[in-house]
Amino acid sequence: MAHRFLLRRIWTFSVKDVRCLPSSTATVSCSSFSTSLHSAPIRVSFLAQSRSLAVSHPPRRAVSFNVQDQEDFTERVINSDLPVLIDFHAQWCGPCKILGPRLEKAVAKQKGRVAMAKVDIDDHTDLAIEYGVSAVPTVIAMRGGDIIDRFVGIKDDDQLDSFVSKVIGQ
Amino acid sequence: MPPIENDTGKNELKTQIQKLIEDNQVVVFSKSYCPYCVQVKDLFKELNIKCNVMELDLIENGTSYQEMLLEITGQKTVPQVFVNKTHVGGCDKTMQAHKDGSLQQLLSGENEAYDYDLIVIGGGSGGLACSKEAALLGKKVMVLDYVVPTPKGTSWGLGGTCVNVGCIPKKLMHQTALLATAIQDARKFGWEFDESVKHNWETMKTAVNNYIGSLNWGYRVSLRDKNVNYVNAYAEFVEPHKIKTTNKRGKETFYTAAKFVLATGERPRYLGIPGDKEHCITSDDLFSLPYCPGKTLVIGASYVALECGGFLTSLGLDVTIMVRSILLRGFDQDMANRAGEYMEKHGVKFIRKFVPIKIEQLEAGSPGRLKVTAKSTETDELIEDEYNTVLIAVGRNACTDKIGLEKAGVKVNPKNGKIPVNDEEQTNVPHIYAIGDILEGKWELTPVAIQAGKLLARRLYGGSRVKCDYVNVPTTVFTPLEYGACGLSEEKAIELYGQDNIEVYHSLFWPLEFTVPNRDNNQCYAKIICNKLDNDRVIGFHYLGPNAGEVTQGFGVAMKCGATKEQFDVTIGIHPTCAEIFTDLEVSKRSGGDITKSGC
Repeated sequence: MAHRFLLRRIWTFSVKDVRCLPSSTATVSCSSFSTSLHSAPIRVSFLAQSRSLAVSHPPRRAVSFNVQDQEDFTERVINSDLPVLIDFHAQWCGPCKILGPRLEKAVAKQKGRVAMAKVDIDDHTDLAIEYGVSAVPTVIAMRGGDIIDRFVGIKDDDQLDSFVSKVIGQ
Repeated sequence: MPPIENDTGKNELKTQIQKLIEDNQVVVFSKSYCPYCVQVKDLFKELNIKCNVMELDLIENGTSYQEMLLEITGQKTVPQVFVNKTHVGGCDKTMQAHKDGSLQQLLSGENEAYDYDLIVIGGGSGGLACSKEAALLGKKVMVLDYVVPTPKGTSWGLGGTCVNVGCIPKKLMHQTALLATAIQDARKFGWEFDESVKHNWETMKTAVNNYIGSLNWGYRVSLRDKNVNYVNAYAEFVEPHKIKTTNKRGKETFYTAAKFVLATGERPRYLGIPGDKEHCITSDDLFSLPYCPGKTLVIGASYVALECGGFLTSLGLDVTIMVRSILLRGFDQDMANRAGEYMEKHGVKFIRKFVPIKIEQLEAGSPGRLKVTAKSTETDELIEDEYNTVLIAVGRNACTDKIGLEKAGVKVNPKNGKIPVNDEEQTNVPHIYAIGDILEGKWELTPVAIQAGKLLARRLYGGSRVKCDYVNVPTTVFTPLEYGACGLSEEKAIELYGQDNIEVYHSLFWPLEFTVPNRDNNQCYAKIICNKLDNDRVIGFHYLGPNAGEVTQGFGVAMKCGATKEQFDVTIGIHPTCAEIFTDLEVSKRSGGDITKSGC
């Protein structure tokens, strides 16, 4: 318990370092009929900066991996010792292109305490259908093969940090 | 333990009842005064089904019957209905079974165990609508969809032609073209901009295809949510109730169903000349073409040809359309020619009365260079020219030849591959139905297929009797100047009613939005055809102008209501609009009066 408490305090510090993006309360996601992306260009330019910072200190192991097939999913996601964030995304989805790098950054901050799996819903439709994905991006948090949390749409860096923290903390 | 008394008598009664149930198609245990029993008996009378009725209040040992029935079925009340040895239940259950079609199924003895109640072959607009509606009505439904790649290797996702390689990308690219005109007009309205305006094909293609990607996904999700089993595999009949499916990896699986709906749609036809499949593209390839097509030859004068030729021209490309005979066969020719004239005025080149005989590649590339040789339809004259892209749009073939229809016994018109159906979309094989573009003599329009599919499912499983109405279907061709129509063409009206019995009212008009940029005066045109024998009822509606789809849709409702010329006249127009012209059509074609318009 004390251990957890300590960890939590560390996160609190790290969260403060993160640039505060204008927080959006509205959910931006791609369902079948909306691909709204209002202030996208501005956000992308912000991100591009912060991403280049992150890239200058690359972690040893890759932060995320692309799921290859059902078998790969079972092995690296369901049977994973670490909690895993599954990022269901699509090439045609604008918001996914914003969320993906943000999520990657949030995961990288945890220095290997959480893994991130990327699933292209058009390449692995069965997986997305099985996990009830209706709109993208959908992020599912899994631990020991059980779904422990999920969200749909865009979140800012702070929201992602707290989501990831919660997943590890559980 | 139930009390065992008079065991022999009980067993005898049981055997008696069971014999009744086994020997008769329909048995109704009833009481003569019971209104619910009357309702059930009336239903079978209405269905013209002979039923064996036991009026328990009129026979001696009626009470014992009722007690035994309770033991057999667990139901105490009457009526109790048995059909082909199956206990249907009481009045409500029987009515429900009649409504959802299961009673008919029981009556016809069709209660063999099939994998599915319904298998729909084809995941286009019609197939999806039908399968979802059937699943909604509680049936076990499978839908199969498989896109055979084009000779160029183009393929796409779930949703059929309209979504992937038809209406949706077409209209978005038409919109791209309209924006070009808007940019030109903008300066006249005071907008000042310095940069030269260019169009980026790849940006447009990616944006359009991203939207299509989201639609494909949306369809997939809605099938999951409605409990339709979707399989991405090619289906063909091996027996009347059995299909073989082959997926991308070549894996074969067999499925059976009580009923089938064919909704396989059509694919572009090729010319059958040297080089066509090797070097040419069709509309199946155009909308996802990774590069700008460059100087383009469009072969054909179908609406696909004119729409594609139209928007490519507006993107600034050098476009030629090669026409064998007439534009827009089947549409009102007066309107078709006006739409064509507008295109010609706006930079589309037409080569008329020529057909291509050979396509040769001069240089590969994106795009490459092709040499097209064409022959006159009237003389021996040959012409040659070079193009970057050749788009074939000479019509479409029904996908009915490679799905094993002969094994199911389904009749197909050998001339065009179309499937004849009755007014309930039923083929000659009673358990096989067909909807959409593959139907003989019906509209090839997405909304028609959707309507037909939905209504078919409701008739099969929802007790509905509503049939799809193929009359007065409004439609629009998205040529640069759009053409909307509903009802009969002038030619067809004359053929049906005779020249003397119809009156055609028409007018040119100049949209207000065109006046400031001072363009296209007296190009837009409105025409209605009225039946003089029937109160001047409007039997044909034709509009050539901006937003034709939006204009035509509402008048489609009016025509469904049987609107007359007088009703058009007493309707107040909305000023200033294009559609208001229809409330003020005074000049008949017969009179030869002036139809040019100016001012309010």
